[in-house]
Amino acid sequence: MEGRAPARRRRASRLHPVRLVILTLFCLLLSGTAGAAAYFLPVVVAGVGQTGQTVVVPPSNSPGLKVTPTPAAAAGAPFTVLLLGSDDDGKNKSPLTQSMILVRVDPASKHVTMESIPRDLWVPLWTGENAKIDAAYAYGGAAAAIATVERNFHVHIDEYAWVGLNGLIKLIDLLGGVDVFVTNPVLDDAYPDDINGGFLYGYKTVAVLPGAQHLDGSHALQYVRSRHNDINGDFGRSARQQQVLLAMKVKASTLNAADLPDIVNALKGNFKTSMGLDRVRSLLSVASGFDLANVKQIVLYAPFYTNYGPQISGQSVIYPHWTQILAVTKENFP
Amino acid sequence: MIARRLAAILFLPMMLAFGSGVYLYLGTLKSKVVKTRADIPTVTKPRLVLPGTMLVVQDGRLFRLKDGGFTEIGAPGEWSQPTVTPDHTHLIAVLRSGYSSDLYLLDLDGHILKRLTKNDSRIVDYNHWAFYPRVSPDGATLFYSYDGPKHVNAAPGDDLSIWSMPLNGLQSQARRRTDPYWYTGGDVTPIPLAGTGLLFVQHSIDSSTAVHSQIRLQSRPGDLVGKPLTSLADNCSEPALSPDGTQLAMICTGGKQIARLEVAPFNGTSLGPARVLLEGGLYASPTWSPDGQALVYFAPSGAAGHFELWWLAVPVAATPSPSLAATPAHSPSAGGAGSVVVPSLPATPVPVQVTQGVDLTATSPPAWY
Repeated sequence: MEGRAPARRRRASRLHPVRLVILTLFCLLLSGTAGAAAYFLPVVVAGVGQTGQTVVVPPSNSPGLKVTPTPAAAAGAPFTVLLLGSDDDGKNKSPLTQSMILVRVDPASKHVTMESIPRDLWVPLWTGENAKIDAAYAYGGAAAAIATVERNFHVHIDEYAWVGLNGLIKLIDLLGGVDVFVTNPVLDDAYPDDINGGFLYGYKTVAVLPGAQHLDGSHALQYVRSRHNDINGDFGRSARQQQVLLAMKVKASTLNAADLPDIVNALKGNFKTSMGLDRVRSLLSVASGFDLANVKQIVLYAPFYTNYGPQISGQSVIYPHWTQILAVTKENFP
Repeated sequence: MIARRLAAILFLPMMLAFGSGVYLYLGTLKSKVVKTRADIPTVTKPRLVLPGTMLVVQDGRLFRLKDGGFTEIGAPGEWSQPTVTPDHTHLIAVLRSGYSSDLYLLDLDGHILKRLTKNDSRIVDYNHWAFYPRVSPDGATLFYSYDGPKHVNAAPGDDLSIWSMPLNGLQSQARRRTDPYWYTGGDVTPIPLAGTGLLFVQHSIDSSTAVHSQIRLQSRPGDLVGKPLTSLADNCSEPALSPDGTQLAMICTGGKQIARLEVAPFNGTSLGPARVLLEGGLYASPTWSPDGQALVYFAPSGAAGHFELWWLAVPVAATPSPSLAATPAHSPSAGGAGSVVVPSLPATPVPVQVTQGVDLTATSPPAWY
C-alpha cells in the first residue's frame, strides 16, 4: 500500500488528454466571459447609475384629485412610461420638463399610444399647489412629475425615462440620425443658443426646410425644440417631438444588445430611467415588431382639450378642459 | 511538472487572445445603423450612368455627377439647392453662414462670380433666409423664397414669401410675389413659367390647426395668393415641371409621414389626374431628366436611412393636347447621351438606386442638364 502512493502521484501529475480538454474549455470559457464582461462593463456601470432608478411617488395633498392606484404591470402586460425631456442647459438648477409624453406600450398587440402633455398646463402639483406642470420635475424630480401626472390624468405610470438636451443629440447621432418628413418650414428667429457653451440666454435663427430629410442630432433638436413661429406653439412642437420619437423607434428597431455600450456612453449623465436593463433590452426587441400604423398619437390641442387664458404671475399658461382630457386619457390609458 | 509549466505558458496567451477575440467579435455585432457613416461621393461609383450633368449636395458640399463619376466643385461652405440658368452657363446656389443664407452666382465649376443677396446682420433678428433659387425661362429674373419683410406692419417675419429680382440687378429691386400664411413657415419652391406664370407651394392651416402644403399657380404678378392646383387634403409639395412643361411631378403625403411620388399632366392652367408612381416611402426632390422620360429623386436606402439618389422611368401617359401645352421652363437638352448607358424604359416603373452610402441632402433638388 505504501509503495503505490508515489505511483498515483506520478500518474496524477501527467496531463491526461481528457483533463487537458476540460482545462482548455474552462480557460476559454473564463477568458470569453472576461472579454464579454469588459465589453459590457459600461452597461453594467450605467445599470447601477442610470437605470433602475428608485422612485417613491409621494402621497397626494391635493383634495379632489383622487386616483385609484392600479397594480404595476406584470411581465408582458401593457405598461405606461412617462417620457420627460429637460432643458438641462444650466439655466435652472433644477431643470423644467419641456417635454412630457405618456407612452403606453402593449407588447402583446404591439400597439403604442403617445399623449403629449403641454408643458404650460396649469395644474395642481402633487403638493396641491397650483403651477405649470413642467415645474413638478424641477421641484421634486421624477417622483413629483409622476405623482402630478398620475393625480391629474388619472393614470398609473409604471416607468419613467428622463433625457436632457445633449443626451437627445447624442442618442440621435448614435442612431445615425433620423429620417422625417417635415410638413412645413420651421423658422425661428429666437431659438435658444445655449448648447455647446454658448451664452445661456442667447438666441439664434434656425431654419429647417420642408420635405423628407435626414436630421442629425443637433438639427433634430432644432426641429423638436423650436416653437416661436409655429401657429400651434407648444402643441406644434409636441407633435414634432412625437414624430421624431417615432423616427427614432424606426432606427432603434435595428439595434441589438451589442449596441448597448455605445448607447450608454452616449447618454452618460443625460439619461435616467426607472426601467431596469432587462426592460430596456426587452423594449429594444419589442420595438422591432411595431408597425407605425399601430401607433396612436394624441396632442391636447386648444381649444378642445385646453385653452389659452390670462397669464398668471407673468407666465403664459394653458388651462385644461379636464372632461375632455380625462375622457381621451381613460380611453387610451385604461 | 515541465508539462504543466509549458501548458500554463501556452494557456495564458491563448486565454488573452480568446478574451480579446470575444470583445472584438461583440463589437462586430453592432447594428449597421449605428456604425454606418456616409461616404464622400467622390470615393463611390454610381450604379447607373446617367446622361448629362447633375449637381447634388452632400452636407454643404457641391458635387457634379457626370459620365458616371462624382467631382467636388466650388469653395468650402454650407452650400445647398444649386440650380442652373436656362442657358446652362451658370449656377445659382444657396450659401448658409451663421444665422442667414444668401444666393450666389457661380460658374459651372462652382467658383463664385457674384453675391446676389446680402442677408446677414449683426443683430440676430435682422438676419434673413433666402432659399429655392430658380431662374425664369428667359434668364432675366431670379425667383426665390425669402423671409421678409421683418418687423413691418406686425408681420412676424419668420415666414417665407416668394420674391423675384433681376438676375443682373440688385436685391433692392426685389419684389414680393406671394403673401404667406403667417406662422406656417410660408411659401417655397417657386417655378417660374414662361410669361408671367409662377408655380409655388403654399403652407396654410385649417380650422382643426392642421398645416397643409398645396401647389398653387399665380398667373400674374399682382395675384399674391394664386389658385390651387392640388387639394389641401393631398398635401402636395416639391413640384418639378417636365422639360416640355406638360407634366408636373410632385410629392404628396395626404398628411401622413409617408409620401407618394405622383405625376400629373399640366396644361398651363390646371393639373389633370395624377398618376402615383411610387408610394409608401420618404421620397424627396423629384427632378426630371433632360429628355423628360425619367425622374430622379432622393429616398432612404435600408435601415441606415441615408438618402440616396434613385432613378425612375416615367411611363408614357396619354399625349396632352398640343394646344394646352405650357411653354417649358427649361429647354430639353440632348444631354450628350452618346456614350452613356440608360436602362430601357420598363412597362411599369421600377426604381433603380443610383448611389450607395452617400447620404445626399434631400432638401436640395438635383440640378440636371
